[in-house]
Amino acid sequence: MQFFHLKLLAVTVSAVLLSACGDAETTIVEKDPIIEQPHDEHDHGDGYTIESAGRLVVLESGSNNAHLYDLDDQTLLDSFALTYSSVSLYASASYRYAVINARSEDYIEFIDGGLWREDHVAHLHDYKQAPAMSGYTVTGSRPTHIVNHDGKLAIFFDGNADTNEVAGVKVLTDLDITNNKTNLPTLEYSNNMHGVAEPHGDYLYTTVRRDDADSTSGNKILPDQVAAYHLHDGEYEQEHVFSAVCPDLHGAAQNKEHQVFGCSDGVMVTGKEEATFSSSKITNIAALDGLRVGTVYGHAELHSFIGVASAHGGGPAVLVQINPDEGKMEEIDWQPMTNAQPVAYGFSLEAEHFLILDNQGYLTILTQHEHDGHMEWEYANRVDISEQDVANMPDGMKFTMTLSQNEHLAYVADPITKHIITVDLDEAKIDGEMELDYAPKAVTWLGIQAEHEHDDGHDHAH
Amino acid sequence: MRNTTYPAVLLAALFPLSAIAQSINGVVLDQQGKPVSGANIQVEGTELSTKSDQNGQFEIKDLTSGDNKFHVVAKGFAHLHSHVEIPQQGLQNHQFKLNRSPIEVVDVVATPVHMSVMESSMPVNVLAGETLRRQQAATLGDSLEKLAGVNSNFHGNVASTPIIRGLSGPRVLISQNGLDVGDVSRVGPDHSVSSEASTAEQIEVLRGPATLFYGSGAIGGVVNVVDKRVPRDNSTEGEWTLQTSSVNEQKIAAFNVTTGFDSIAFYADGHWRESDDYKLPDSDEKLASSAEESFGGTLGVSYLLDNGYVGLSVEQFNREYGIPGHTHADDHDEHDHDEHEGEDHAEEQVLADLEQTRVQFLAELKLDNQLFDKLNVRLLSSDYKHAEIENNTTGTLFENSTTEMRIELIHNAFAHWVGGVTLHYKKSEVAAQGSEAFTPPSTAETFALAFVEELHEGDFLWQFGARAERVTLTADNALLPNIELHAHDEDGHEHDEHDHDDHDEASVTRVFAVEQEFTPISASAGVVWDFAPTYNLGVSLSYAQRAPSASELLSFGPHIGTRSFEVGALFALHQEDEESHFELNEQALDLETSRNIDLTLRKTQGDIGFVFNAFYNQVDNYYYQDFTGLYTEVTHDHAEEEGGVHDHDHAHDHAFELPVYNFLIDDVTLHGFEAQIAWQVSNEFKASVFSDYVRAKRNDGGDLPRTPPLRFGSQFSYEDERLTAHLDITRYQQQDKIAAFETATDGYTLVDAHVSYDLSLLDLDTSVYAKVNNLTDTEARVHTSFLKDLAPRPGRNITLGIRGYF
Repeated sequence: MQFFHLKLLAVTVSAVLLSACGDAETTIVEKDPIIEQPHDEHDHGDGYTIESAGRLVVLESGSNNAHLYDLDDQTLLDSFALTYSSVSLYASASYRYAVINARSEDYIEFIDGGLWREDHVAHLHDYKQAPAMSGYTVTGSRPTHIVNHDGKLAIFFDGNADTNEVAGVKVLTDLDITNNKTNLPTLEYSNNMHGVAEPHGDYLYTTVRRDDADSTSGNKILPDQVAAYHLHDGEYEQEHVFSAVCPDLHGAAQNKEHQVFGCSDGVMVTGKEEATFSSSKITNIAALDGLRVGTVYGHAELHSFIGVASAHGGGPAVLVQINPDEGKMEEIDWQPMTNAQPVAYGFSLEAEHFLILDNQGYLTILTQHEHDGHMEWEYANRVDISEQDVANMPDGMKFTMTLSQNEHLAYVADPITKHIITVDLDEAKIDGEMELDYAPKAVTWLGIQAEHEHDDGHDHAH
Repeated sequence: MRNTTYPAVLLAALFPLSAIAQSINGVVLDQQGKPVSGANIQVEGTELSTKSDQNGQFEIKDLTSGDNKFHVVAKGFAHLHSHVEIPQQGLQNHQFKLNRSPIEVVDVVATPVHMSVMESSMPVNVLAGETLRRQQAATLGDSLEKLAGVNSNFHGNVASTPIIRGLSGPRVLISQNGLDVGDVSRVGPDHSVSSEASTAEQIEVLRGPATLFYGSGAIGGVVNVVDKRVPRDNSTEGEWTLQTSSVNEQKIAAFNVTTGFDSIAFYADGHWRESDDYKLPDSDEKLASSAEESFGGTLGVSYLLDNGYVGLSVEQFNREYGIPGHTHADDHDEHDHDEHEGEDHAEEQVLADLEQTRVQFLAELKLDNQLFDKLNVRLLSSDYKHAEIENNTTGTLFENSTTEMRIELIHNAFAHWVGGVTLHYKKSEVAAQGSEAFTPPSTAETFALAFVEELHEGDFLWQFGARAERVTLTADNALLPNIELHAHDEDGHEHDEHDHDDHDEASVTRVFAVEQEFTPISASAGVVWDFAPTYNLGVSLSYAQRAPSASELLSFGPHIGTRSFEVGALFALHQEDEESHFELNEQALDLETSRNIDLTLRKTQGDIGFVFNAFYNQVDNYYYQDFTGLYTEVTHDHAEEEGGVHDHDHAHDHAFELPVYNFLIDDVTLHGFEAQIAWQVSNEFKASVFSDYVRAKRNDGGDLPRTPPLRFGSQFSYEDERLTAHLDITRYQQQDKIAAFETATDGYTLVDAHVSYDLSLLDLDTSVYAKVNNLTDTEARVHTSFLKDLAPRPGRNITLGIRGYF
């Protein structure tokens, strides 16, 4: 937007009025008007916003190095030595920071990507700085599932039965990291579990592990209940335990209305309308063929969810569309290639596409179509992302992927070729390449999100 | 209720005719000859006063001989004014016999003339003592709504403000110790009043025009919260309360204490209150964004002089409260673009974070002067701000910085006339910045001179007063944006066209520097005639003028609290070739002028007491909002900042539509009545009934919106030494006298009960109490509320508490 003042002669209007007793006089002087030019496409020209494709954080395999690249000119900005080498990588809730989780060390650290946006009320103000290692750390017993929703990142600490450490949840925003906030909103359990928490405003929808005698889970470390906790004075207090039971709960996602949790016998749906909490179950369908939904993807823009069922430790995957409003689960035919085992999934910006990256080197693109009044995911395209023989994949490595939060682009890291390619999702073609001198282990996008982007998809694959 | 005893050595010198100091002793009795303890006996026109002991005995020394006028006040009794001739040798064993008054009589302290529910030409209510504690709520509106003539605009338990005889907003002044409360509660119904009932001593309500005492902004009435924060004596006393309620899990802790030594008096108070969203009646659902948390504290210090006191207090007040109904899915849902939109915003957490620092300086000095008897000085400096926060982002920041000075000079009785002059100055700088900046920054300055006189002669009490005021309102940048207006067609609407058109052309916002100068004049005359023993009749005539407020004149923008796009009276709608747009109003922006007559009939004493009021109030140039029939699209915050291919999808997520309301100027008439009857059945049992009604209509036809319905209620109470029990039943009738854009509201009946038991622990006055509000769990929708359709009153609420005095 541009503001400028027209040199106009000021117009004076004056009205004098005398009444029987009181008296009122109004003087109005017209000043130069404010002219606001229409903004053309992609105009951020108010001087405060920055247009940038963003940055990439790439973990180097076999080392503790993290590298930060500028996506505008494909250059390496800086490299950082991490405290530990065996880590997993995420983006913070507003994509300013890289979140480095050293699970076995009970230690999470952060890299400031250097691109962020502040709301200055009168305008949005973007910042672009050199990336830097943040001094901020979060510690706790076995941080495992890291979920981000609507500006909040929930870290689920599994706890450790061997050391009698209990499970817990900490919720943080990018601003908390900036401010080095020490007393994060926290939930502490009385036992350990492999659980997951979904932050939702002041609420936290999170798993509950009952006494082993009561638990319906086959594997008792997996919880079988979900409760809503409400934030009071920096602590989450239990407000409601949902009545539905979810044996061997694993995997969760949410949209604006619902949370969906994977269970061995189906999926559990929770929600809160006005002040009423509700829960329901959607049972497994035959197409799952004995598998269960163990990972769920949701997005603020969508009413339905995508569930992934695959054998533990990899294998062919069955994808289902979960529709909480209709209480239905339907298979998605993603037309997998022979022997294709997915290694990563994700929604593109605004959930225009759902992506499946597989071990055969293909990126499958699904899009939504309307059929008989409801939306269905369908196979749309497939991009061959590797010219190499996938049999040459180094041991213990795989293709990884991250998605831009301001364009319809996916970045796929290929440890065989040692490069990162850019995939244009609308055109379904490779649109760029960045060569590396190391094998990339993980990759994540950082930058300034397109406004009103609510990405719920959490990138941890299981 | 002052119990200050000053050494009267100096005072004696103030009276030119005074002879040698004399004394009086005696006893205060009721009509059965039983002693009345704790009665306050004051010598009028002096600072001499005392309290009767357990046997009703009292003694006052250092009186002048000759005619002395005594004012005797005791709970449950009518005030007694008695002339006593004190002989040279003093007076022994004098008896004051009090008459019962089933209607509680407490004097108003904030006016230079004597006023109480029983003795005033103007109708007043005072809520004090246990009654105040029983009725106090989180908001001022809800605390006062059981008073005849006072309703609450019920804004979801969190921001309710009082409505007096159908008027509220800029027409009802809210003050604290006679000084402006300095918040922005007069601007929007979703803005909380920054005054706390739980640490107040009494709350006074003047019904009807009170511009005489308070100036512009009091044309509909005044609510004055009185506290002891600038202490007037240094005897150690205090009060504490702990309370919890079920409907919203509310927890309250409050205390106030006064103490001191030598000539120094200290005061401190504090309160803390936290509540969750409240439960709706007959349901497990809660009203979203109705939670609240507030805490605050005051420190005060006074220097006690032989002839009065000077003191200072500093208050810090913090409050964080939800704004229910602050969603952007408006009432016109049929025009939503998809269901997504409503859901999108329904989840938004909207809350207001309020902070105020208030410094008061008060001085009351008795003068040794031929002409003047007393000087009262009150100064205020207040800094207020509240941020409205959506999803952790500040949407709008409201600020009000107020300074005020009020000097009252009371003259010596002159041919039995009592009264004084008031010099009053007030300056308020108000700004709203951010997405809801519907009113540009402005400064209002008031300078006023007033006098009030009264004469008590024979069976008549005459009260007169007049006030001249100069109000200037300046705004350097009043904005008139060129907004798209559209009507709603029968068959849907052409949103898309509107949406895409406005991307093509530059939008022009006209800017005006506005300066307004008003000279409101107010005058009133009244008489109270004791036409028969224990009865009186009051008549009050008043002419009052008000300068319109900044929000009524200069607004132009979305006001989320009222879910409307507000356009001030400075702007008016013009139509050209089927296209409507706003231009400067050519109509003169005149003073609002009220001509009001009040009639009061009272039975002041005996086992049955009553007060009947009838009023007729004709207001010319009444500023009110009228629906234009048009709507405008408002983009929320940063929608326009977005780029990208999916721009339009985004815009839809943010855009919402608001009905456009324009302030118009019209003549209106309000009339109605209030009635209170109380019957002291026995020493313990009392029954009372009340009713009130107001009819508010435009002279050219049509009704004003959000007018309270006819209401009647009853209260049964039992009070003995230790136990008190109250049962209140209030019936609100259906309201079908409605403005064009309003809907009728059903009637409902509310039942409240309260029981309190005095523990008298360790000789301290400690009581436990329980109360139940909305005993029948009725769904009650409040016609005067902007949230009528969204927020019924809370469901059944059980409160338990403990309170002590020391």
